[in-house]
Parts: sequence; structure tokens; C-alpha cells
Amino acid sequence: MQPPTTARLLLIGLGAVVVASFLPLWASGYILGLLTIAYYFGVFAMAWDLLFGFAGEVNFGPTFLIGVGAYTAGILDNLYQPPIWLCIAAGTAAAITGGLVLALPALRLRGPYFGLTTLVAVLILQNFIVVDAHLTGGEIGLTVPDVISISDTTNYLIALWFMAISGAILFSLSRSPVGLILQASGQDAVQAGALGFNVTKHKLTAFVISAFFSGLAGSLMVFYLGSASVGTFIDITVGVQIIISAVLGGRRTILGAVLGAIFLIAMSEALRPLGDLSNFIVFGMALIVVLLYPNGFFGLLTRTREDA
Amino acid sequence: MTVFWQILIDGFAISSLYALGATGFALIFGVSGVLNLSHGSLMVAAVVAAWAAGDSLHAGPYTGAAIGVAVGFSLSLLTYFVVVSPLQHTRKIREEEKEIFILTATLLWGIMIQQLIAYFYTDNAKTVAPIVQGVVAIVGVRTPANEIFTAIVCGLAIALLWLLVNRTRAGKAVLAASMNPRGITLLGVELSQVYVAVWAIYGVLVGVAGVLLGMFLGISSYSAGPLTASAFSIVVLGGLGSVPGALIAAYVVGYLETLTAYLISPAYRTIPALLLLVAVMYVRPRGLLGRR
Amino acid sequence: MSTAERSHLEVSGLTKRFGGLVAVKEMSLSVAAGKILGLIGPNGSGKSTVMKLIMGIERPDGGSVRINGVEVCGWPSHRIARMGAGIVFQHSRPLHRQTVLENIKLALLPDKLTRLFADPQTDARARAIAARVGLSGVLDRRPGTLPFADLRKIEIAKAIARDPQVLLIDEPFAGLTAKETAAFSDLICELRDDGRAVLLVDHNVKSVSRLVDRVIAMYVGERIAEGSADEVMRNETVRRVYLGGAIEIAARPESSFRDATTPFLEVDKVSVHYGKAQALEDVSIHVHEREFVAVVGLNGAGKTTLFNTISGLLPYAGDVRRQGATLRNSSAAAIARGGIVQCPEGRELFVDMTVRENLDLGGQHQPPEENATQIEWLFELFPILRERQGQAAGTLSGGEQQMLTIARALMMKPKLLMLDEPTLGLAPVILEQISKALERLRQTTPITVLLAEQNVTFALPHADRVYVLEHARIVWEGDPAKFAAEGGAGYL
Repeated sequence: MQPPTTARLLLIGLGAVVVASFLPLWASGYILGLLTIAYYFGVFAMAWDLLFGFAGEVNFGPTFLIGVGAYTAGILDNLYQPPIWLCIAAGTAAAITGGLVLALPALRLRGPYFGLTTLVAVLILQNFIVVDAHLTGGEIGLTVPDVISISDTTNYLIALWFMAISGAILFSLSRSPVGLILQASGQDAVQAGALGFNVTKHKLTAFVISAFFSGLAGSLMVFYLGSASVGTFIDITVGVQIIISAVLGGRRTILGAVLGAIFLIAMSEALRPLGDLSNFIVFGMALIVVLLYPNGFFGLLTRTREDA
Repeated sequence: MTVFWQILIDGFAISSLYALGATGFALIFGVSGVLNLSHGSLMVAAVVAAWAAGDSLHAGPYTGAAIGVAVGFSLSLLTYFVVVSPLQHTRKIREEEKEIFILTATLLWGIMIQQLIAYFYTDNAKTVAPIVQGVVAIVGVRTPANEIFTAIVCGLAIALLWLLVNRTRAGKAVLAASMNPRGITLLGVELSQVYVAVWAIYGVLVGVAGVLLGMFLGISSYSAGPLTASAFSIVVLGGLGSVPGALIAAYVVGYLETLTAYLISPAYRTIPALLLLVAVMYVRPRGLLGRR
Repeated sequence: MSTAERSHLEVSGLTKRFGGLVAVKEMSLSVAAGKILGLIGPNGSGKSTVMKLIMGIERPDGGSVRINGVEVCGWPSHRIARMGAGIVFQHSRPLHRQTVLENIKLALLPDKLTRLFADPQTDARARAIAARVGLSGVLDRRPGTLPFADLRKIEIAKAIARDPQVLLIDEPFAGLTAKETAAFSDLICELRDDGRAVLLVDHNVKSVSRLVDRVIAMYVGERIAEGSADEVMRNETVRRVYLGGAIEIAARPESSFRDATTPFLEVDKVSVHYGKAQALEDVSIHVHEREFVAVVGLNGAGKTTLFNTISGLLPYAGDVRRQGATLRNSSAAAIARGGIVQCPEGRELFVDMTVRENLDLGGQHQPPEENATQIEWLFELFPILRERQGQAAGTLSGGEQQMLTIARALMMKPKLLMLDEPTLGLAPVILEQISKALERLRQTTPITVLLAEQNVTFALPHADRVYVLEHARIVWEGDPAKFAAEGGAGYL
């Protein structure tokens, strides 16, 4: 079976998004709220997939970039109350800076070291947030005076279309010539260099793009929730959920990450009455997928047989 | 002056604990090639088991400790057979990606154990009844006898491990397997047996370290993450693959933390070590004595 | 295709060290536009390293590399590539998740971050290149589904797409049939006729002699001969390196071995694949108890694959039997414990352990009293090991390490000892010692030996029988006297 073309997939995606836009007509505020979170999560997961699937770099601490973006936006708002869009812009810029600071040396590292560097970055961020409680709200968290909107429907639609546009950009990127160069850089850096591509430059760009979307989505989410805390933005558990979403949906598909995110959030919510056991079950299912179906949903659907 | 001795003694005790845990972590990486991100959860499981034994079964401290170690041992082997070994042998994942998958899987597994513990035993801190009670005066400093006990047991355990690896035939085979798995296979040693043996030893180390830690401080399911983090920080500082390096790094980190806790504030205790780790990763990713 | 008139490659004084080992020493060569230079040498000669140094994949420690007069030594590989150099690697490395067409298109892309839309020209150009090499029929397939020769065509297509003025090709014909080789040769000649400078690297002069204008031979990092293909093949030093000098034979006839009907070791129509490449094709050999059999062949012929298959380290089709019983279900460690012991090409010593500890590990399955006796005997066989027994194995010289590898294997009291290229990279005086030790082994113990070598002078004096392995197939079998007479000439 020929894999569907970029244009066709984008059209299908657009169709799904348009249909989803009508959901507020009959769904409750609770469901809309859940999906809003899921959509932001979808952007987190797509950004991760771009970095992993394409540049070949495993980021174990996506929450570093997200957290930097979210907290910068939130703290700025708390301190000076500038217009929301300014806070969001600042958050995004901070995330990009953070991404560069992390990437420049990290890209020189091989194998497990890179993944560990990203994990350590998260730990350090977490420590600083807890310690600088007067600024960040510490373990309890930060509340921001402004939110984008109080209406469930407005928030939902903003999240939905933000995810749709981000997805379209990231997906098109992945299928473009630049995406091809990124794939080569990730799969076989020596060959890519011999073909004349500056691998470091391309991987750095992938980092910046991933940081941009992570920071932007994180900042937006702060102004949706009206608060930020270690538990929602920074904790390793959150990072793992993002990675799982991308893996469940299918590595290197970008679009699959959204499906994975929706599934994960929905599952977690559905199992919430079980208390702490809910997380256990969700992660247990994720572990089973990793062990038995490493190619995730999309992998099962499209079945690209590379080694036939 | 008293503070100096306090720091020296406290630092030594906590460093010894770190050393024991990190040695296990380094052993698994050196021989099996796996960075076990469920390390902290295994330790917490051992502590909670020891506590539960005391709490529900009214077992004495020795029995409790033994149960804790047994739990650490069993969970470690379970980790190998259920999570690590299937991934190492699967054909569904390309060789280059296996390391990442194993890392993710152990992370997941660790969180699962953590959540399960929190569910059954809530996430409040537990302490285990220490085997050795009372206070002892060293150089005029009142020290819990427990700390001395901890340092001695850790030292003994590490010494035993060293003897095992360097002086016994089986131990040398394990060491050789970490240097050259193909070489040792060609000499007739089944690698699968070596791996099981190593995870078994690791399980005991983790169990002992966990139980001792529980006698020292309060441990909750939340401790799992920081414990794993400190273990791999130490191992990376010392150099991935070098057990002597991990030992040295453990004392560096332990003392850094103790100094920070005493001289600056207990809230900041983990930060200097993390910063040192970052510096090392940027400047000398090989670590102190690293080979790989 | 536009190519500058003056395209040429000039290398002088190129040097590369890996730790204490000098891989390339003061290497110089030059290739003019429209010419093909062959760089030949056995394994470990440094020829592949020279290629990587020119391309910037490894950083030179000294010397100069000029492409079209521009000094590029020390540049990163992507800059050298954009300067006009292209490389075809020995092992095909396509992007597995992309189609053939996408693989070729990649090579046509500029190094820009802003290419968000595909240039329609790129598609047409890629198809044209595919047609030129013969890939039009498989453009939409993924590399994993294609045969070996097509993968090599993809590599050539990528090289053509880059339109390099200097083209480096590593072992172009390895794994190809005669017909495929001819097609590739023609393609390379076309590229040369475009006015490019081509550097061909191979271990076998014969396979490239048709194409090249000149040949440079390398050994242990240095150039040892230069001239036309014929001149180099006749050169004394080159012949000594590949074939050695006069050969004495001491063979025992096959009928003298008792296990005529069921030889100790039987390899029965074994085939092994590495990905798409066929490493062994229908290989059958047998070894009688107490016999000394040599398998000779050049690099890439399949000797190491054969040994690893017998040792149980690789999946294979066919059968391997020990005294009639199949080894297929035994683990590699079990096969070793059962008495079939390999001294691998890479030696696989435990470098941080002492000589004594390495030997002890060899003897771990034997009773301790026997080990003590065995170690004594081995110290007599290789006196230098007794001297160095407290030293770390990694600090020994190459020859000493090889002796340790053999001694460690002998600690296992093997029934069949397999030696994979023991002479690789060793000086002649060390070869003498090892040769004498093998002689003693053969005469004083009931051991069976299977030796894989490209150094025929070393192998022949000990052998009772010889097999020749070439491009994954056994092409000749017979006694050493006959080999010396007929096999030698065609071997180089």
C-alpha cells in the first residue's frame, strides 16, 4: 500500500479538526476541558517527535523547555502584568534560549549522555523552582492573575486550532526537503556529512523548532489553567507521558503524537477514580506497548515494512 | 569545631550509602549495558517492604531488614526478566534504538512501582526501625549509632563485592564479561548466566542500600526519582562504566550535599552536585575515570 | 554535467595516529582529472583510513590535502563535500525509511535550512540519474526490499548526484557478480571520462587492474610501491607482503587420517547473509581429527564469517556438524566448552586484566591441577608470556597479544583450534616465533587446527590441506604443493 501523500493527510487532518470544532455544541464543559489539555499535550508530543524522530535525539526532559516557557510567562505576568501576548512571547523566547543553551553542548555528546543531560536539566529546573519559592510559588505552584478566557468553548477552540496549525507546520516540515535532511542527520550523521550537510546546524535548528512549540504551548497552557506547578509542567512523570504519547502514536509520524496524547489523557481521566492506581495502569499499558508494539498505533496502521 | 566533625561523620555515612547504591548502578551498566532508571523505585520498594514487615507482621528489625533485602533481590530479577531481557533480544526494534527503548522502559517500570507503592502505602514518609539504636560520642560529637552501623555495613558490602569480582573465578568472569562480552563467550561462558548473576547481586545491593537508607531517613514513594537521579549523577561523574570512579564520586557528592545542608541550607542540598554534574558533562563527559 | 578542467586531488605527508598506533604514515599521492588511481593494500594497511582522511570523516594529524588547489586538510566533511569531493562507502548505507527516489533526491539538495518546498527540477534530475545507473524500476521501493547490487547502485547514484570533481570509491566490486562488476566498471569509466579524478581503494589489484591508470600499494600505513598495475603486481615487496617468499611444505595425505567417513568437523552447504550482502554461499569444508587445514583468502572473502558461523555466533542456512552431531542447537558458549575454540581476528583479550588472569579465565572450566600444568607448558611454548604474566594485556605488543590469545585458547584444551588471521599486522620476526609454536603444537599434541589466513607463506608450511575462499565461495581445494604451483599466481 502506498503511504498517503502529505497533501492528502493534511486534508484528512483538516477535516477532523473542522468536525472537532463542532464538539462544543453538545459536549460538556468537563469533556471540553479535558480535550483542551489533550490538545496542548499533543503539541508537546509533536515537538518531541520532531526532535526524536527526525533529528534522532532523545529528549528525556521535554518538560525543561516547556517548564521554562510556562514559568517565564507566568512569573512575568505575576510581577508586571503586561499584556498576555507579551508574556506568551517572552515565554516562547525563554524556551528557545533554554533550548539553545541545552543543545549546544548536548549535541557534542554521544549516546546515553545526551539523554541524561536532558534529564539533569529538568532536575535542576525543578530544584530551582522549589528553592526560589518566593518567585515561583515553590512546590505549591504559581497562580497568574490573567487568563485568556473563562469560556470553555473559547479555550477549547483556541487549543484545537493552535494544535491544528502547529501540527500542519510540523508535519509539512517533516515531509519537506529540510525534513529529509533532518532524517538523514538523525539516521546516519557520517553519510549526511559526506553528502555535504552540516549536521550540527540542522540538529540545532530542530532543537530550536522543538523549543519554540514547546515553549509556546506551555505558555498558552499557563494562561488557560491560570496556574503553573511542578506537577503539571515539570515533573519527570509529565515528561514521560509526553514521550509515551509520541511513541504510542508512532515515532516519526508527527500526527500520531496527537492521537497518542488524546488517548493518554483520556485514559488517565477515565481511570482517575482508582486514585494512584490509575497512573500505574496507564504506565503499565505504555510499558506493554513499548515491549510488544514499539511502532505504536500508526505503526500498526501503515505498516511500513522497511526490512521486508 | 564540632560542626566540622559532624559534617565529616554525617557526610561519611550518607556517602557510604550513596556509594553502595551507585556501585550497584555502575555494575549493571558496566556488565549489562543498561542504565536502570527504576533504581530508586527498587530501593524504595525494599524500604517499604521492611517497614511493612515491621508494621503489619510485627517483625523485628533484623527480620524486617531481611525481608526488605529479599524484596529488592526479587524485584531486580523481575526487572531483568520482564523489562530488560525481552527488549535486549527483540527483533522488532533496530539495534541502535534499543538503548533508548530500554531506558524508557526502565523509567516507566520505575514509575509503575512508585505508583503502586503510593497506592498501597500512601506517599507518606516511612522510617524503618533501626537495627542499632542509641547514640555514641565520637570525638565529642553525639552521633546516632545507626550512622556508624550504616557506614560499616556499606563498607563491608562494597569490600565483599570487590573480593567477589577480583578474587573469585566467577567474579572474574563477570568482570571479563563487562570488558568484552564476545571474548568471554568464546571462552565458554554463557552470557545469559552472567547477566542473571549480576542482576541478582544488584538486587541484594539495592535491597541493603534501601533498608539502610530507611533506617537513616524517612523514605516515601516520592524519593524514588531523586534516588535514581543521585545514582546516575554519581555514576556519570565517576565515569560511566567505572566502579572505582563511582565510589570516589559518591563521596564527592555525599560530602557536597552534607556541606551544603550544614553551611547553606538543607533545602539546597542537591543543587551543587547537580551543577557539578552539568559542568562535568560539558567539560569532560567521560567523567573522572570513565572508559566508554 | 559541468566539471572543471583542472580537477585534481593532491595529498602529501598525510598522517593519522589512533592512540599509540600510527594508522597512516606520511602518505602522498595525486590524481589528475580524467584519471583513475588504485590504492591497494591488505587489511590494516591504512587505505580506508586514507580515504576517510581525505573526505574529512577522520581528522588528520598532519599533512596536506588539496582539492583543485584548495587546502582542505582539517575541514569538516560537509565542507569538503561541497568543495567537490564525493565518497562511495564500502558498505551501502541508504536511509531505510525513505524510497530509492528520496535517497537520490537527498544527494541533490543544497545545505539550506529554508528549503520548505520541493523543487520540481530535483525530481526530474533524480529520475535521470536513476535511469543512468539502472534503478528506474525500483524508485518507489524502500532499500530493505532490494537486492544487494541495487543498493550499490544507490550509492553510485548518490555520488553522481553530488557531481564531485574528486570521487573516492571504497571496494567497488565486493559482493558483486561478474556481470554486475562489468556494469559498475563501465559506470566508473564514464565518470572518469567526465573529467573527474577517481581514487579506487581495494585489497585486490586484480579486480581493479582493468580500470586504473596507476596503482599505489600500502602496507601498515606506508606506501610500498607505485606504478602501473602490472608493475605493482610484479613488485618484490608487494609479493612478499601478500604471498611471501619460498614455501616449504610438510603435508600429510588425507587418507592418513582415521575419521575418513565422519570428519571431526563438517561444514555442509552453509550460507550466511549480512543484511542483503551474501557473506558465505554454499560453503562446504571438512576437517579430520589431528589435521591442519588452511583456509586462504583475501579480505572480505568470508573467512571470519565462516569461523563465527562455526562458533555459533551467527545465524546460517545449512549445517555444521561435530563428529556427526549438529551444532545448530548449541549456544556459542556451549560450542566453545565442547572443544571448538576460536582465536578471533580481533583477539578479544581482556585488556585491563593481567596476562595471568587472561590465561586463568581460559582455564576456568578445567580442573585447577590441570591448569597449573597447562600454564607451565604454555610458558615454555611462549616464554615471553612468563616474563609478562603480571602485566595488563593491553600493554603488550601486537605479537605478544597474539601469543596470549593463542595461549588462552589452548588453556581450554581444545579439540579444534580455529585461528583467524593470527599474522595480521605483525612483524616477520614475530611470525617466526608463532610459526615455530604452531609447529610444536602440530607435532607434540593431538590437536586439530583450522587456520584462516591471507598470508600464504605463513599458512602453507603447516597445512595438510588448503581451501581457497573467494567472494563468499570455496573456489579451490587441494594439497599445499599443488596450491604453491597453480594457486599462487592468480591469488594476487
